[in-house]
Amino acid sequence: MIYFYDGSEEAFLTALLLSYHDPAPILTAGNRQLVLGQETVFVRADADMAKKARERLLTFDKDCMADLGLLLRSGDADKDEIALRYFRLLAEKKRPVRKMLSEDAAFAADTCIRRVTFEVHRFHGFVRFMQCASGTLYAPISPDNDICDLLLPHFRARLPQFPFVIHDVKRGKAAVYDGEHSFFAPLKEAEIVLSADESAWQALWKGYYENVNIPSRERLRQMRGYMPVRYWKFMPEKH
Amino acid sequence: MFDKQGRACYNGGMIDEQRLKILTESAKYDVSCSSSGSARRNEGGIGNGYSSGCCHSFTPDGRCISLLKILLSNDCIFNCKYCMSRQDADVPRVSATPDEVCELVIDFYKRNYIEGLFLSSAVHVSPNHTMEQLYLTVKKLRTEYNFHGYIHVKGIPHADEEIVRKTALFADRMSFNLELPTEKSLRLLAPQKSRESLLLPMADLRREKLIFQAEKRKGHFLPAGQTTQLIVGASPERDGTILRLSESLYRKNDLKRVYYSSYVPLVHNSLLPNVGGGALREHRLYQADWLLRFYGFNAEELLPADGDLSLEYDPKCAWALAHMELFPVEVNRAPLEALLRVPGIGARGAQRILDARRYTKLTFEDLKKMRIVLKRAKHFITAGGKFYGANAQRVAGLLAAQEQSEQATQLSLFDENALSALTGEL
Repeated sequence: MIYFYDGSEEAFLTALLLSYHDPAPILTAGNRQLVLGQETVFVRADADMAKKARERLLTFDKDCMADLGLLLRSGDADKDEIALRYFRLLAEKKRPVRKMLSEDAAFAADTCIRRVTFEVHRFHGFVRFMQCASGTLYAPISPDNDICDLLLPHFRARLPQFPFVIHDVKRGKAAVYDGEHSFFAPLKEAEIVLSADESAWQALWKGYYENVNIPSRERLRQMRGYMPVRYWKFMPEKH
Repeated sequence: MFDKQGRACYNGGMIDEQRLKILTESAKYDVSCSSSGSARRNEGGIGNGYSSGCCHSFTPDGRCISLLKILLSNDCIFNCKYCMSRQDADVPRVSATPDEVCELVIDFYKRNYIEGLFLSSAVHVSPNHTMEQLYLTVKKLRTEYNFHGYIHVKGIPHADEEIVRKTALFADRMSFNLELPTEKSLRLLAPQKSRESLLLPMADLRREKLIFQAEKRKGHFLPAGQTTQLIVGASPERDGTILRLSESLYRKNDLKRVYYSSYVPLVHNSLLPNVGGGALREHRLYQADWLLRFYGFNAEELLPADGDLSLEYDPKCAWALAHMELFPVEVNRAPLEALLRVPGIGARGAQRILDARRYTKLTFEDLKKMRIVLKRAKHFITAGGKFYGANAQRVAGLLAAQEQSEQATQLSLFDENALSALTGEL
C-alpha cells in the first residue's frame, strides 16, 4: 500500500503507526506516480497517534527524534522511505540501531543524515551576507536540503548585534533574526536596498580571492570537490 | 564600535585594492589557513570560535580560505634567499595601518567571507618593532573592535619574549616558521634567522601556556596552540630528516600542526633549485604526518633518517608491504590500532567497523555495503575467516599498478585529507 503524507513529523509518526503491520508499505510526501490497482492512503497527522508513536520510540532510543528531524529535512527523493525503514528497524530491534551499519536501513539513514549535517557545516562557511541600507544582513541560499532554520543558531551566536535574514530562495522560506528574537517565515521574494559601501567591500573580497590563489598550482577538480559549482550562485568571489 | 543598527563605525578608512593585493600576494605562500581548535565565546561585539574549523571558500589551487591572510608590511630588513619580500628584492613596499586591518576583518567577517585573521609581517625596522605592531593590531581588534573570532599571529624571530607573550594573550594560535629543516640550510638561505631564534620562543610559549593553565588564569592564552611550516625542496634534506623533526615537534614541543610547503621558485639564486618541489612529495609528507598524529605510527617505522618516502605507494601501504607477516588481520577481532594500519582503511572506516561488529559478524558483503573501500584493504584482511586478497608476493605489483593508474586524478582528491581540508584543519 502507498501512504501519502504531508512531510511533517506528526504525519510521519501517524503513518508509521498506521502502516506498521503492512509487510511492504511505501511512504511518500511527493507526487509519486500512481500505479493502477495499487491501494493508496492519505495520512492526516493525528496528534494522539503521533504522541503514542513518539513516546514508544523514545523508550528504545532517546535520541531518535533528532534523527527524524534531520531525515525529514533531507532533499533526497527517497527520504520518506529511508526514514520509514529506519524507524521500522528501530521498532523491531527495540534499541538504538544507529550504529548497526551492516543493516541496509541503518546505513541508508546514516548516509542521509550525514549529508544533511554536512551541508549545514558547509553552509556555516558558504553563506554570504550583503549589508542592506538599514544595516540588516541578507543572505540568499539555495541548499540541497531544507536547512535554513538549522543555520540560524550559528549566526545568531556570532553576530548577536546584527539583524539578519537567511533566505532559502529555492523553498521560499527564511530564517530571521531581528537583533533580539529569531523566527521562521515563508518568504517568496525579498526587496533589497544595499548599503552605499556594499559593492566596494565585495570588490575588495573578489580582489583578495584572486590574489591569494597560486596560479602555478591549479587544482580545479579539488576546488570543485570541496566547493561544488551549484553553491557558487550567491558567492561574489565566483562572479 | 557599533551604532544602534549594528553598523560598524570606525575611525580608519577602507584599505585600497592595490595595497591589499601586495600584502595578500606576499602572504599567500604561508600554507596554514586553519581555524580549528578554539572555542572562544562571543562576549558582546562580533564573532566566536568554531572548534572544528570552518572553510569559507576555495581558490582554484584547491586551497581553503578560512582566514584573511595578510602581511602588515612587506618592507623587510631580512634577506631570506627564497622570499619575494627579501630586502634585496625590487618590489613596491607597502604597509597597512592597524585600523585598516581591523576594519577589513570586521567587514569581511560579518559578511561571512572569513573565519578570522592570519596576521603576519615582514621584519620591518626591527624584530621588536614588528612584533609590537602585530601586538598592537590584534590588541586593538580584540579590545576596541570587540572581535572574538579566530586570530592567528606569526611570531617574529629575535623579538623580545615579553612582547610575544603579550600577543599570545590575544591570539588563538601563533606560529614561528622553521622554514628549513636544518641549521645548515637555514644559515645558507635565511642568514638572519637561526634555529634558536625560532625554537626558543616556541618553547617559551609552551611553558607560558602550561603556567597559564595551571594557575587557571582568566582569559585565553593560545587556545589553539602553535604550528610551524617547513619548505620542502629548497634545501637537500631527505624526508626521513624532515619527519623526525616533525615527530619531535609534535611529541616534545606539543605543536598542533607542521605544514609542508612544496618549494615554488619565485626567486632566481644560485643557491636555490630552479624547479619546484613536486606536489606528490608534499602529498606523501602530509600522508606520513597523518600517520604520526592519528594512526599511532612513529617516524622510525616509516623510513630511515637518510631515506625518502616512496612515491610509488602511500606511506601506510609501503609500511604494510614491508610487514606482510603481520597480515591479514581479521576485521571481526582486530583491535582499533591494527585496523588503522590496514592500507585503505582510514580512521572513519575503522570506527564504522568497530561499531558494526558489535551487532553482527561482519562479512565482505557487509564491508562493501558499509562502503569500506576494499581495493587495497582486501589484501590485508580476512572477514569471518575468508580471504579475498592476492598471494603476498603479487600484492606489491598489483598495488603499484593501481596507484599509477589513479595517481593523475587522485592527487587532487586526497582521501584522508579531504575532510580535514573541509573543516579548515588543512
